[in-house]
Formats: sequence, structure tokens, C-alpha cells
Amino acid sequence: MEPDVSIETGCMIRIAVLPIGPIPQPHLRDYASMLVRHRRVDLSNISSFYTEHQKSPFANQPWDSGSLRFKFMLGGSPLSPWEDFQSHRKILGVIGICHCASSPDLELVEEEFASACKSYTSALVKRCFAFCPGDSQLEDGGRKGDNLILFPPADHQTQQFHLQTMMQDIAASLLMEFEKWVLRAESSGTILKTPLDSQTSLSSEEVIKAKKRRLGRAQKTIGDYCLLAGSPVDANAHYSTASELARLTGDFFWYAGALEGSVCALLIDQMGQKDPVLEDEVRYRYNSVILHYRKSFMQDNAQRVSTLSFELEATLKLARFLCRREHAKEVVELLMTAADGAKSLIDASDRLILFVEIARLFGTLGYHRKAAFFSRQVAQLYMQQDDCLAAISAMQVLAMTTKAYRVQSRATLIKSLASSDEISDGGKLNPQSVVSLFESQWSTLQMVVLREILLSSVRAGDPLAAWSAAARLLRSYYPLITPAGQSGLASALTNAADRLPSGTRSADPALPFIRLHSFPVHSSQVDIVKRNPGREEWWLGSAPSGPFIYTPLSKGDPADSNKQELIWIVGEPVQVVVELVNPCGFDLTVDSIYLSVHSGNFDPFPMRVSLPPNSAKVIKLSGMPTALGPVTIPGCTVHCFGVITEHLFKEVDNLLLGAAQGLVLSDPFRCCGSPTLRNVTVPNISIVPPLPLLVSHVVGGDGAVILYEGEIRDVLISLTNAGSVPVEQAHISLSGKNQDSVISVAYETLKSALPLKPGAEFTIPVTIKAWQLGTADLDSAGGKNNASMGRLSKDGSSPMLLIHYAGPLVQSGATDVNSSTVPPGRRLVVPLHVCVLQGLSFVKARLLSMEIPAHVSETLPCLDNKYSDLISGGKPDSLVKIDPYRGSWGLRLLELELSNPTDVVFDIRVSVQLENKMKEDKSTFVVDASDFGYPETRIDRDYSARVLIPLEHFKLPILDGSFFVKDSKSDANQGSSRSSSFSEKNSKAELNASIKNLISRIKVKWQSGRSSSGELNIKDAILSALQTSAMDILLPDPLTFGFKFAKSSIPPANIVDLPKEANILAVPPGSKGSILAHEMTPFEVFVRNNTKEMIKMKLSITCRDVAGENCIDGSKATVLWAGVLSGISIEVPPLQEIMHAFSLYFLVPGEYTLVAAAVIDDANDILRARAKTDSPDEPIFCRGPPFHVKVIGTA
Amino acid sequence: MASTACFIIVSKNDIPIYEAEVGSAAKKEDAAHQHQFILHAALDIVQDLAWTTSAMFLKAVDRFNDLVVSVYVTAGHTRLMLLHDSHNEDGIKSFFQEVHELYVKILLNPLYLPGSRITSSHFDTKVRALARKYL
Repeated sequence: MEPDVSIETGCMIRIAVLPIGPIPQPHLRDYASMLVRHRRVDLSNISSFYTEHQKSPFANQPWDSGSLRFKFMLGGSPLSPWEDFQSHRKILGVIGICHCASSPDLELVEEEFASACKSYTSALVKRCFAFCPGDSQLEDGGRKGDNLILFPPADHQTQQFHLQTMMQDIAASLLMEFEKWVLRAESSGTILKTPLDSQTSLSSEEVIKAKKRRLGRAQKTIGDYCLLAGSPVDANAHYSTASELARLTGDFFWYAGALEGSVCALLIDQMGQKDPVLEDEVRYRYNSVILHYRKSFMQDNAQRVSTLSFELEATLKLARFLCRREHAKEVVELLMTAADGAKSLIDASDRLILFVEIARLFGTLGYHRKAAFFSRQVAQLYMQQDDCLAAISAMQVLAMTTKAYRVQSRATLIKSLASSDEISDGGKLNPQSVVSLFESQWSTLQMVVLREILLSSVRAGDPLAAWSAAARLLRSYYPLITPAGQSGLASALTNAADRLPSGTRSADPALPFIRLHSFPVHSSQVDIVKRNPGREEWWLGSAPSGPFIYTPLSKGDPADSNKQELIWIVGEPVQVVVELVNPCGFDLTVDSIYLSVHSGNFDPFPMRVSLPPNSAKVIKLSGMPTALGPVTIPGCTVHCFGVITEHLFKEVDNLLLGAAQGLVLSDPFRCCGSPTLRNVTVPNISIVPPLPLLVSHVVGGDGAVILYEGEIRDVLISLTNAGSVPVEQAHISLSGKNQDSVISVAYETLKSALPLKPGAEFTIPVTIKAWQLGTADLDSAGGKNNASMGRLSKDGSSPMLLIHYAGPLVQSGATDVNSSTVPPGRRLVVPLHVCVLQGLSFVKARLLSMEIPAHVSETLPCLDNKYSDLISGGKPDSLVKIDPYRGSWGLRLLELELSNPTDVVFDIRVSVQLENKMKEDKSTFVVDASDFGYPETRIDRDYSARVLIPLEHFKLPILDGSFFVKDSKSDANQGSSRSSSFSEKNSKAELNASIKNLISRIKVKWQSGRSSSGELNIKDAILSALQTSAMDILLPDPLTFGFKFAKSSIPPANIVDLPKEANILAVPPGSKGSILAHEMTPFEVFVRNNTKEMIKMKLSITCRDVAGENCIDGSKATVLWAGVLSGISIEVPPLQEIMHAFSLYFLVPGEYTLVAAAVIDDANDILRARAKTDSPDEPIFCRGPPFHVKVIGTA
Repeated sequence: MASTACFIIVSKNDIPIYEAEVGSAAKKEDAAHQHQFILHAALDIVQDLAWTTSAMFLKAVDRFNDLVVSVYVTAGHTRLMLLHDSHNEDGIKSFFQEVHELYVKILLNPLYLPGSRITSSHFDTKVRALARKYL
């Protein structure tokens, strides 16, 4: 059988093309390609070379439209035993090709050519084309025979033309030879035999038979020559005669041959027009041809020679003729019949040719799977031949099947994708095309095909193809391959790589699987902030473009929202996190892996990874942007198993997508225990010019600053510009939790350091006050302070300094100031790592009251809140002046209970800041805020201590309906007046405000060791302590009582206004606070009404001795008295004082106590409320504080 | 029962979703490969033939050596393909019809994604039983 047969084969003149002498391969290819262009030479062109010696037997030769067709057999071909039967099988011409430069001796060439021609006995024309002769050869060549034709060196076109002329000459010579042959054949009786005929001995019967058949066979052969001579009409005439004769003589084989020839003549005559009538005719005749070839099959010589190949060839010819979609069914039927015949073919190469042809025809029909199937059969036949060339053929044939089996190498896939425009836009795949990605998951077949490719390429010695096949096999089908098989493939990969030059690239990736894990956003240290040049605070987002704060239109762009932007900076290394997985059962060593960037503005840094069996690893691949522009990262370049491959992220994404839908065998990431990732969106990455880069570190180490609660400390932060652009703008702000713990930041230092040149450094101090630990923190921190240090500083409770900084507004070199080209600024986040340890803890606070009796003296003790007026002038040297004569009037003590759970000692100092107070006492009296030095309280570790804070500065002057009202009326006695009048609505607020005011003035400072000091935050605690008893503390009693010695012995018996001078009276220092026994001592009792109503009451005064006995009444009275002491009915006008005078005569020296008390008549609601009684009948009882009287003398 | 038979269900997307060697002959891996190759190649012919007839059962559409491919195309263009060496057309037709019914039941499973592999062992058992019955 012959390859590439078609119906038209019958009219082709075979010419063997033989290389003569040594010819370099590219030259031979070049000359041959020039030659094969002249496959068809028109008769009209050869008429000039043609001379009619005799009357031409081709009477109907179409000189104007006909042509001679050539079939160039490169390298020649062996003689066919069937060349008598079909003349087109004869080699009718020989063309030698000679490259003169490499074979200088033309004589030798001629000899060689002559000997080469010897084997082609049927050749009618022999020519040797010698290309590129030298000058000497040209001279020499002229003397040679006609057969050697020199092609002088010239340009391609001229040579082409020269060759064309030579071919026309050959065509004309052939035509004349054909004429000669036909004329001779008609006259002489040539015996035409085929291998079918008995070869050995001609029995008499057979001789007779042969003689009978001779004429028909001769007619058929003449028909063949007519066809070759390009005269179909003549051929047809001879064929019809021949078929007639052959039919009569029962020579079916020749009959079929003549019929075949006639179909060819018919087609040539029709010149390629294909109408249905012609097709039907051809189909009809060919079916008959096939039938007759089958008929001539003779069982007796089937072993020796078979007509089956003719039958199959005819079938293939018909199939090729009909090979169009509309006849698909018919063609398939024909090809299937042909395929069935393969079994009966004896020769393996015939079978090979048959399958090749079937595969080609199926391919033409568009039946790619069928074509692939037969191609694989071809490959198997090649593989059965045990030589390298066959293996190469097998490999090449199998490579053609890969498309149908969808195991293409990516190299071819990319080509076909590019040509067929199948690339999906924007990487978005609809579900249908996702399925199509995994279409034809005939994994069994695919594995078989890949294994065969691997086998054949190993045998063919093509390591790259072997590597690629093994890589595809391993990557796609590892779940179906046993671990041993996987290792086998791995070693196949290494073996193949050993034979490849280093640095070989393959389009097909092997292992590992690589997927994009994440793009680490800029660490907070190098964050990039878009700069808004229009604003002073440029980092606060760009100004709204319209009048609306919210524009629905701006939100609606989905492309913007899901594509995040990532900015990389020239010269600053970046990282991309990828995940590698090795799902196979062997150790995988990736010699180098780096990001593959095609845009050329990125310099990736390779790294080496080794992956144990069935493992996944997340690695950071870094690189350095080198130039401005956009960057896309399609994948990674991997050097593994000795070959460089590119692994695209998209492919793995598709694979994972398929795995999620159950279309792919297995998800390599999941089977290695790697968690499923959400879809990683690849951000738009752009590279911008260099920006300044501030690097910060805390002076004295970047570790956490360990502070006790409330401790205050300065932290120095050093900032260095590590970029190549100066910092021109910078701004510090605070963020994060516990911001208020940063007390101060030296902004001025920052401002003064600008602009900061590259490499420059400066330091800014920050003052931090440690915050209070929450209860949760306390729980975890309790007991193991040091152990939890790290955790505390990590969990984000520390405040952060945000430093927004930017380089110059205009890039150097850029001339136009355009808002869109403003280089972005950056943000540096400096976390102040503060680790707060539990310090002194506050246990509780409460208010204590003390009753220390006051000494009765010449003057009244300050009765009410005028204590704070500090009338005595000068600066107070202590918080509370404990005056032994004054008693505990209005004095309260705030007791703070503190415990020290730490292992250090704390010293406590309490200070009360006195506020500036404006007094309207004729002159303005200002007291500077100052601290009073109190002795420190030391609290040892694991001890508790109580700190007392005396408070005396609050009692409101007036008891009022809304608890109080500040009246404008001045207290004449004290000379202090409040001119300000407050509305009642404000009164409650002022109450609260005064509490707050008081609290804010109390500060508890502590110190521990040499360096730690701070302040205890006890505001809330005091507030809660005060809140419960605020009313009691702040509101005055309705009545206040006071005693003093009368200044004269004449007791005033009636109510008088207290003279202003009363206070000014000097008291003899010696007698201060003490009186003599046995002397009538005049006293005055003062009752002050603190309400705005007139109060009627019954005042009584009691005197008690040390034992608490009443010493006035009773049988053992030790004190005599004059004046009224009980049941004194008096009325006190609102906010006034009355004085009641009386005298006492002490009989016994000692200590006495005077107490004034009153029962209020007709008490109003305010008084009741103040007394906290509900029943209207209950008498309201007021009692003054005790006054101390010391009586000296003898009894 | 046929000595060699390979049954395969090919989804609309040309993906085999079920494969079974149902022949009584001893199983050889090579043969199984070859069977699949033949069935895969036959898809080309089925794809044209399916549109030329309204019948679901396409009878024998392809052959290679002694093996014949019979195909049954469902309305959803899922192809039930049987590679066999015996010519028991009625039996094959009944086999296909019953398998089609089973396949429809699989499709009705809301958890089954049409076009994905059929992994139900129940289905497998039933198909093999049908093969024993009809082929």
C-alpha cells in the first residue's frame, strides 16, 4: 500500500529526486522545496520544448487547458511489483540534486548520478541539477553531457525561474517519451504481468489465457500513459476498450484497474468540478472497482500476494473523494470497512499506512477522537518496531492525539488558544466553561496516552518530551498513581533532566502545586496613604467631589470595589505569600522558586524549598520593584526536577474550582491538609516612584515598657528616614486603645526636624501614663505578672502613634503640579508597647466624720463653710488646720484603703490642690493652687494601708427647698458675701459640680523605687464614696449652734444682731480656752438659722461633766447657773443668728461639755426632709456639737 | 452474557461519569484501556448520529475489530455506551432502557450535580445485575 493515495494519483508522473554527493541538510531542503513547487506543469507552457517527431497518439490532448502532474519521490522509492499494472507506480524520471560547493568534481557527480539511475530502469528522463557551481565548474560543466544542468549562482527568483524552465523541458521530454512508448506498445505485443499471475512457469493454458488478456491489459496501460500525458479523453477511450476486453476475458483485476483509471480520467476531464451527478457517478464506479478488486482476491495465492491492498486503497480513495461533512456517514462506513481489512493485511507497514490514512481521513472529517484513536493504533505499530526512528514517529503521532485526549502540552495549548481566540476575558469563567475545562476527563485514556508518550519519547531519545509527558502525568493524575509509580515518574523526570542542558524550560509544569495565598498588605510600618493636596491634613481622604457627602453613583462600580489596589514602591522589597503543596509520596526539592513577572519591572528573589511527602508549605516570595508601571503576577517560575517551568496561579484556581464541583480527581491542597482559602483576589499592583520611609525604634530597646498602673514615664522614639526621598511633611496623631494614656508628644521636636534628609535621624519624647487594668486583665495578670507581660503588650491594648509623613509634593524632574500626580504619603504606626502591671489597688473609700469637741473661747469657732475662706490670710501651710479650740466642725475624713499586691514598695503622697477662688470680701483674694506636703505613706508589698484625707471645705451655707439656694444676702458676721445668685434649676447641677470639683483636686501620687512614679486614679472611687452620703455631707443642718465667752459680764438678754466687731475682740492669750472655778462666767450661745424660713424653737443648754452626768440639775449639781438654760422659746429669722446669754458658775474644776439643743416647733417640710422624718407629728430635734470647757482652779 | 462488554455513561460534556466492565471474560487492564479508547472514539460518530434520528437507541454505531459499540442517547444528551461482542440487540435495548431509568433516579437526587461522576454503589450493583440479565 502507498500513503496519501487519492483518485487523482493515477495521473501523476513519479519522479525520483536523489541527492548526489554530499549536500548540507538545509541546502537539500531548500532545493527540494524549490523543486516540489513544480508539481504541475501546464501543457501550454511546454509547447516550446515539444517537438512532434511522429504523429502523436494523444489525439485529444488539451494543449490549452491540460497539464502534466508530477509526484516527486524524495530519496527515491523501491520498485513496485505492481508497476506494470498501474503505470503511475513507475518511476518515470530521475532528478539528481547536487550542491557543487560540497562536490567539486563534476565528473564524479556525473558518475554517481549515472549509477544512482541504474536502479530506476523505467526512468525515461534523467537530469542532474547542480546548484551553486563555482566559476571553474561552470567552464567545466559546458563540456559535460545534457544530463548535468548547472544552475549558476543567482538570487532565489532567478533560480526559481531557471528551475521552472528546466522542469518544463523535463515535462516536454517525458511527453515525447510517453508518445514513443505508446506507439511502441500499440505495435509490439508487450506481456504485462502482475504478481497475481503465476510467475514461475507458464502452462500452455495460461499462455493462451495471457494472450487473450494481453490486448485488454495493453489498452489499460496505454490509457495509463494517456492519463500521465494529461490527455483524459484519450485515456478514457482506451480505458473503456480495456474494461470491455478485460470483462470479456474475466480479467477482473485489470477490469477494476481500467475502471479506476476511467474514474480518474473522468475527474481530470471535469477539472475538479464537483456536482452531485459526478459524485454519484464516481461513487457508483468506485463501488464497482472495490467489488471487482475483492472478486479478484484468490484464495490460492493469498499467502503470497493479495489484492486486498488494492481494495483498501480504492476504499480510501473513494473515502477521500467523498470526505466532507455531508457524506460523513458514508465515509465512516467506508473507513470502518477499511479498518476491518487491517486484520487481513499481511505486511505490518501496510497496516501502518492504512491506519495513518484512516486517521487522516477522520481528521479531515472533523472526527478528532476517531482520528486520535487510529493515530494511537499507528503509534502502537511504530512502537512494535524496535528502532529509534520508529519511536520518534510514534512520539510525533502520539503528540497529535493529545488534543483529542486533552492531555496537550501547554506549549501547543497556548498556540491553539491564541489562534482560536478562546481565551476568556478577564479571567472570569462561567460555569459552563468551567466544566469544559475538565471536559473529557477520560483519566484512564489520558494516563495511557501520556504513558505511551513518555515511553516513546524515552525510546526516541527526546528528553524534553519525556520530561513534559512525565510532568503532565504526575501533575494531573497523581491520585491515580501508586506512590511507587509516583517515585518512578519522579526518577523519570530526573533522568530526562540529566540529559537536558541546564536551564531548559518546559511549558508543562510538574510539581509542586502553587497557589496564591495572599498579598501581604503593607505592614503598618510602611503603609501608603493617598495624599490629598487640597487639605492641610492630607491623609484624611480626598475632598468630596460633589456637594453630597454620599454619592450612590460612586459606590456602584463593582470593578472598583472588588479589585483592591496595591502600591509597590521602587526599591522597597515586597513579599507575596504563596502556598506550595506536594501531594506525592516522595520528597520534593524545589531548587528555586520565584515570582514570574513578565512586565520586566520587578526583580524577584529566588528561594529554595523542600517539601516532604504529602505536605503543604506557605512561603513568602519576595522581590524588588525596579521601575514604574503596572505589575501582574501570573504565577511562579519554578526550577524543579532539573527543568524550569512556569506555574500559573490561574490554572490551580481552575483546578480547585473543578475539585469543588467534583469534576477533578482530587484537590491537592485539601488532601495535604491545607485549609481551603477564600478566593484570593489578585489586586491591581502598580509601582510608584520612591517615597520616604521612616523607621522607628524605641530608644533603649523595642521591648515593652513595663509600667505599674498609673505610672508616668517618658519614652524616647527615634525615627530614621530610610528612604531615598526627604520627609517634608509629618504629623503625629494617636490611635488605638488607651489613647489618653499618652500625656504628651513633643510635636515641636518633630516640626523642627523637618525636612528630614535620607538617612537622617531624630528622637521625640513621648510621655505615657499607664492606664488602669480592666477586671479581665486583672484576672489574667493576677499572680503572674511577669509571665503575662508579653501577652499584655501584644493584645493591642497599647496606644499607637500614627505618623503621617510625605515627601516633596512634586517629584524631582516632574514639572507640572497636577493633583493626580501627587506622590502618596505614608503612614508609620509606632505602637507604644506598654505593659501595664497591676500596681496599688484601691480597695474602698469611705467618708468618716469625727467629733472633737471645740473649746469654748472668746470667739466663736467658724461655724460653717466659711472655713475655706481662709480669712486669716497668708498661705496655708497645711490642708486642714487642726485648731484644738475649734473642734471637728465640718471636718470629714476621706479614708482610702489601698492594698499593694505587687512585689515592690510603694510610697503614697496625697495632695489636694486648692482651686483658685474669687472672694468678694472687699478685696479679691486669690489662693494659688498648691500642694501640701504630707508625710508619705509607705505600703509594703502584700500589705494594705489606709490613707486619710481630711476634707472640710464643703458645707453649703443654706438649707433650702431645693436643698439649698445661694442667697444673695451676705453674712454680715463673716463679712463674706455671695453676690452671685443662682437659679434653682442650676442648684442640683452645682451640687454635682462641686463634688466633682472637689474630687478632681484630690490627687494620690505614688512612688516606687527610684524610677517609677505615678498617680492613683481614684476619682471614681471617691465619687462613689461621696455619692452615698452626699446629702449628709453637703447640706448644712438647719440650725447651727455655738458657744463663746461673753465679752462682758452684762449679759444681753434680748436678741441682738451680732456686732461686727465681735470677731475682732482680742482674747487674752493666757486665759484662752480655760476658765476659773468659783467665778461666774458669762457665756453666749449663738443659734443660727440656715434656712430661709423663720424658725421657732425651744432652746435648751446642758452642761455635762467628764462622766457625762448632767451637772446642772439634780442633787449633786457641780455647776450653778444664771439665766435661762432650758425651754428658751426663741424665734430665729431666716439666715440670721440670735444670741442668748447666760452665766455658769463652776464649783468643781475639771472638764465640762456644753451642748445646745433645740426642739423646733411647727417644722416645715424642708426641715422634715432634712431630718428624714415622715410623720408630721414628730418633733424635730436639733443638737449642736459639744463644746469643751476647761475649768481650772481649786475645788 | 457477552464475553466482553464494557459499559460507560458519558455526560453531556463528554466526561465519563460511570464505567463498568460487565463482560464475563477475565479482566485485563490493557483490554479495559482499549475498550475505553474505542468508546471514546465512537463519541464522534454518536455526536452526528444522535441528531439524525428521534430514537434514543442508536443501535450499533461503531465497531473495531470484533467489538461493536451500541449507544443509547437520553434526552439530556447523556450517552449510555456499550461495547460488546455479541449481537443481542433486543437485550441491549432492554438493558439500556432499564439503565436509563436508574440514571433518571440518580438525576432526581438533589445532591447529585448533573454531569459529575456517579458514585452510588447501589447504582453499580443494579447495573451489573441488569448486565447479567440482558447481555
